[in-house]
Amino acid sequence: MIELKNVYKEFVNGEVVTKVLQGINLQIGRGEFLAIMGPSGSGKSTLMHILGFLDNISTGQYYFDNKNVSSLDDDILADYRNKKVGFVFQSFNLLPKTSVWENVRLPLLYNRGKTDLSYVDKAIKSVGLEHRKNYLSNQLSGGEKQRVAIARALVNNPDIIFADEPTGNLDSKSGIQIMSILHELSKMGKTIVVVTHESTTAKYAKRIVQIRDGEIVSDEVNKDVISTETLKGQLK
Amino acid sequence: MNNIITSFKIATNALSKNRMRTFLTVLGVMIGISSVTVIVSAGDSIEKLVYDQMASFGSDFIQAEVRAPKSSGGSLGQAQGIVITTMNENDRQDILDLPYIDKAYSSVTAQELVSWSGNIKKTLIYGVSADFIDIDSSEIDQGRFFTEEEDNNLSRVVVLGKDVKEELFGSNDAIGQNVKVNKQNYTVIGTMKDRGTIFFFNMDELIYIPIQTTQKMILGINHVISITSQLNDSSRDQEAVSDIQKILRANHNITNPDRDDFEVMSMADAQDLMNTVVGGVTLLLIALAAVSLVVGGVGIMNIMYATVAERTFEIGLRKSIGASKKAILQQFLAEAIVITLLGGIYGILLGIFMIYIVYLIATYYGFAWDFSLSLSGLVLALGFSIVVGLIFGLYPAKRAADLDPIAAIRKE
Ligand SMILES: Nc1ncnc2c1ncn2[C@@H]1O[C@H](COP(=O)(O)OP(=O)(O)O)[C@@H](O)[C@H]1O
Ligand SMILES: [Mg+2]
Repeated sequence: MIELKNVYKEFVNGEVVTKVLQGINLQIGRGEFLAIMGPSGSGKSTLMHILGFLDNISTGQYYFDNKNVSSLDDDILADYRNKKVGFVFQSFNLLPKTSVWENVRLPLLYNRGKTDLSYVDKAIKSVGLEHRKNYLSNQLSGGEKQRVAIARALVNNPDIIFADEPTGNLDSKSGIQIMSILHELSKMGKTIVVVTHESTTAKYAKRIVQIRDGEIVSDEVNKDVISTETLKGQLK
Repeated sequence: MNNIITSFKIATNALSKNRMRTFLTVLGVMIGISSVTVIVSAGDSIEKLVYDQMASFGSDFIQAEVRAPKSSGGSLGQAQGIVITTMNENDRQDILDLPYIDKAYSSVTAQELVSWSGNIKKTLIYGVSADFIDIDSSEIDQGRFFTEEEDNNLSRVVVLGKDVKEELFGSNDAIGQNVKVNKQNYTVIGTMKDRGTIFFFNMDELIYIPIQTTQKMILGINHVISITSQLNDSSRDQEAVSDIQKILRANHNITNPDRDDFEVMSMADAQDLMNTVVGGVTLLLIALAAVSLVVGGVGIMNIMYATVAERTFEIGLRKSIGASKKAILQQFLAEAIVITLLGGIYGILLGIFMIYIVYLIATYYGFAWDFSLSLSGLVLALGFSIVVGLIFGLYPAKRAADLDPIAAIRKE
């Protein structure tokens, strides 16, 4: 589904050139649960933004469903962001002073095909927040906010969910809750890519990619993937 | 289409979340649009007032008026006290010899007190020839106007304007009574019908005395200040202007037209002059209106820029979940349009209210002022407000649309 070929990314600010990604080769297949790990500043977020059509590459190729992403115009990329992928950020990024329901509805506003609002309630239900749907986003706890963000990412039923340090701002219990939701989604067949630098978070993934200074240093199957039973035990 | 409706939904939602800011912007636009409405309507009313008054004079006469020669400063020189004494009764007689002119009256004016049985009023004496009543659209109410014979005999007779009659005599009959003007007795032989205010001058406060009586008995002069002639063939007005100029130049011994001590104008000339003046005033009003709209527009632009800066995060987020540049542009333009439209509607309502107040005041002071609202003017104001919203909303909206979503989100 996703193929990066020799991808470089550098930021140019006037005279200053920051080389961030240095020859990334990566394939992600449908239904995978992938964790990208690495120290702070190694380029994980940049990679995620590129994968999620939020940023473009400097050189190399990015194919999504066999389409060369660099050749797509702004309208199509916006549509891809809207329907093909769901993004979950570390800092939740909900609209303040706005209800949970409206926050989750947001992507539907930009979906030219779909206007069926029942998807909003379904998405809210899937993260277990029916009882909070009329709350304003700032009245929620951190864990709840991140669940709203996941519901928002799900509302257009995307193929793939990108989560950039989704547990980074959460206490461990809320973190486990979020990861188990992603685990559930993965079991239902969604492709999940999660960025983290905590091994406790990475252990939910079936495959772990390590990145250092913009280069992939290892790409392995996770032998210690957490079992559903253990997960259920943790949630109690 | 669906998109556009959605843009407006998002826009109204965003606006309702920021009531104070929305209110203030709407207020700015409202003031701009209401002043446009008032200015345009007042311009219309003034124009109509002026043309109605011009029309009330009729179109078939020629006015010759004394004027200081251009070489001695023109009307400015006159204002500085140069008195032109060359125009007189002979000129009128020569003008009357023209085949297409049957009637003409000369005039002088003088300010005097007029009194009757203890009532005193300050009035303007209008000393005119007997032909005045046939040429002017003023009409006799009671009694009669004076005759040419009375003028030639220096008869002490007077015709009172309506207000003068009412103030001196109230409901008493004035005809046949003697009033005192300049310590002399004048017999009232007629009173005039209501004429109203023309070009800011109340015609009902005049009293009419034969011109020669006024010259000899009151002012002690021989000259007149204007001669008004009526054409029996209005198509010959340009010919009349040049013939009268020739007569006056010959009588006043003038060879160089630059030294003319008079000015001859047909009604068509006066209309042209008025068109120029009214056109100038209209242009000025339009410029004023444009300025107030631009001020409103700059206000919108300012607030929209502030809005975009303040809502960077929201814009970035919307883009990150799938809003295209076009969608963001539409949303912000929709916000600008909703604001200007609201401002436009409230502004027009406020404008109508103010026009009504102006109408009440103008009518109170005796002007034949119209309470006129032109539908096309209102539609224009509304359309203009939308255009202003679009133009001044475009740059901020463009800035919003071009925001980099990642940078925008990271800011928070
Ligand atoms: N817009 C940008 N301009 C310049 N440098 C940037 C920009 N975005 C990220 N960087 C730099 O790129 C590097 C990688 O950043 P990032 O991808 O956020 O790392 P990570 O998510 O792994 O912590 C950092 O050194 C960061 O400062
Ligand atoms: Mg990061």
